[in-house]
Amino acid sequence: MTAEGIAQMGTEPTMHPAQPGDGRPTASYTLRVNGFERPVTDAWIGESLLHVLRERLGLAGAKNGCEQGECGACSVQVDGQLVAGCLVPAALAADSEIATVEGLSAGGAVSDVQQALADSGAVQCGYCTPGMAMAVHDLLQRNHRPSEMEARQALCGNLCRCTGYRSALAAVQTVADQRAAAVLEAEAAAAADEASAPSADTVAPAGQEQVAAQPEPPAPEPAGAQVLDPPVYQDAWSGTATAGEVPVFEADGDWIAAEEALPTADGGVGTVPAQGYPGYDPASYAQGTGYDAASGYEPTPAHGTAVPPFDATPAQGTPYEPTPAHGTATAPYDTTPAQGTPYEPTPAHGIPHQGGSYPAAPPYAAGPYAQAPYPGTAYDPLGYQGTPAHGVPAPATPFDGTVYETAPGTPEAGTPAHGLLLPEDDRA
Amino acid sequence: MLPTSLAEAVEALGTSPAAVPVAGGTDLMEAVNAGRLRPAALLGLGRITELRGWRYEDGGTAVLGAGLTLARMDRPDFAALIPALADAARTAGPPQTRNVGTLGGNIATAAPTGDTLPVLTALEAQVTLAGVGGTRDVPVSHLLTGLDPIRPGELLTWVRVPLLHAPQVFLKATGRSGPARATASVALVLDPARRGVRCAVGAVAPVPLRPLEAEAWVAGCIDWSARGEEGATPIDPAAAAAFGEYVATACVPDGYGADAASGLPPQGPTAAALALRRTVAVLARRALGRALK
Repeated sequence: MTAEGIAQMGTEPTMHPAQPGDGRPTASYTLRVNGFERPVTDAWIGESLLHVLRERLGLAGAKNGCEQGECGACSVQVDGQLVAGCLVPAALAADSEIATVEGLSAGGAVSDVQQALADSGAVQCGYCTPGMAMAVHDLLQRNHRPSEMEARQALCGNLCRCTGYRSALAAVQTVADQRAAAVLEAEAAAAADEASAPSADTVAPAGQEQVAAQPEPPAPEPAGAQVLDPPVYQDAWSGTATAGEVPVFEADGDWIAAEEALPTADGGVGTVPAQGYPGYDPASYAQGTGYDAASGYEPTPAHGTAVPPFDATPAQGTPYEPTPAHGTATAPYDTTPAQGTPYEPTPAHGIPHQGGSYPAAPPYAAGPYAQAPYPGTAYDPLGYQGTPAHGVPAPATPFDGTVYETAPGTPEAGTPAHGLLLPEDDRA
Repeated sequence: MLPTSLAEAVEALGTSPAAVPVAGGTDLMEAVNAGRLRPAALLGLGRITELRGWRYEDGGTAVLGAGLTLARMDRPDFAALIPALADAARTAGPPQTRNVGTLGGNIATAAPTGDTLPVLTALEAQVTLAGVGGTRDVPVSHLLTGLDPIRPGELLTWVRVPLLHAPQVFLKATGRSGPARATASVALVLDPARRGVRCAVGAVAPVPLRPLEAEAWVAGCIDWSARGEEGATPIDPAAAAAFGEYVATACVPDGYGADAASGLPPQGPTAAALALRRTVAVLARRALGRALK
């Protein structure tokens, strides 16, 4: 996109220019995002960098999770420092080098960090992933061999409600190992080159003059002088142009297509290529037989095995009888089940007990409920310690507010905020 | 506005006192995003490099720039200088916050849970406020309690911290194991030259609290000559435990967490007060034990 094009985008209603006269002070400035100069015009000075990146520059990689700096989904780098994009006033980040997650996948290929996150299963809903990728990228820039604890401390500002962080930590180690192996390989290659290099020197003493005569390799141009127009990509769905953002799958020049349907024998439309399934009956899936509008809808369970039509459930007008998830139709509940025995609840340990009803629960002999008058009266929970977050139950403690003493030999009851167990020095 | 020197910044603030000085912006932008604050103008302090370091002054004082980031304070060279302040900076938040959050911003925001505030209170630090008319030094406790607040057009520039060359401890209790706001925090510094103990409790009140009587009492219980010797016990464990109770009772009032609107007469300490007192007591006892180890 040309500079005029970007300026034109600034006048479009989607760019939310502050209306003159609404009392909000505005500013125009230029952000350097992933090496590209991006002008921002008439933006309210209170807009966060996250808002400007997403709403004005179309870089939607950083996510807006909490707007309080708690979740880390908006992590970007400003001047090489990992920051929460929602807590940086964009007007004050002018002339800073801003790196977003879109810059990780330069050239259209995913970076090793993103690949490792995807491979290790650290991406489930994906909302935290851009921030997580930036945090891992930032960590590995500063620390090439992070320990488990260092990785945990570096990622402690990125909340993920899906994966439980294990896979993200595994991805950190994977990338660190990969990069170490790559460095070793490069060193080995350099050593091999050196071993062969002296012969070349001795062969041609005039080689030094040749080297001097050779033109110097072109110095890498400063990024600012290189390109002023960020690459523009057309979003396939919305049709909006996105500048500077490199879709992951741009290398193929196309969207990643789903699995292509295999050509089938008859090649008819609506034929399901499901020959591999056990119990597959091609006759039932022949053209036009899968769904008969006249006979009503017959549910087919998800595992694809055709079930015999329900005897007791006609299509419409009769009461609905629930079908269990395993897809086998059952008789109504008030009759005797198929195996012919009346239903008896089985306890969780799997051994059916003999009597018709449960025996009385034994009284609690140990534990925090021991002294509680369990059935009948309300339990006073003051004495109950609960289980601390690290999973080690606290030893019993009088709840009269006296000194809390950790029993000797047990782990520290309170873990400090940074997650490190400090030396056992506090039983002074 | 992005001034690059302190003089420029002070002058810019003098000409437009309504501008909000922004260093890291982590507290400010949280309020702006939530709609609680609509700044008329912003004065970015991130380019003032002279405020981002520290220097030494005669009389054993470190002069810390207000733009010193929390991440910088966590580094070993600073931790050797003022260990409690480094501990407070380390637990202040996730890396994303600590990379930009500054010492001066923590003081100027004066949040009840500000982690560096109890440490600065215990160290009896002084802050320098620079205005167009000149500079003035204010004890940080006067600034926090509103006895001598920042006036319009003044910029918090330097924090003077005495170098005590003695153990200092900062402990913080949080609701989770990751970075979080403190439910209670205790900073305790020893001053062996004066044979004194200074303690400040944060996050239980709008400002950090100093239990002065408990400090004076426990200073008399410490065997100062035995401190630092191998295998010595500079303080009786029962005295340390009693110190914790003393601090907790002094800092958490009986009516903590009570519903004032209910109109019920107070009947002893509330459950919230008891729970918080226990937290504070444990923190204070551990802090004393670690300082005297």
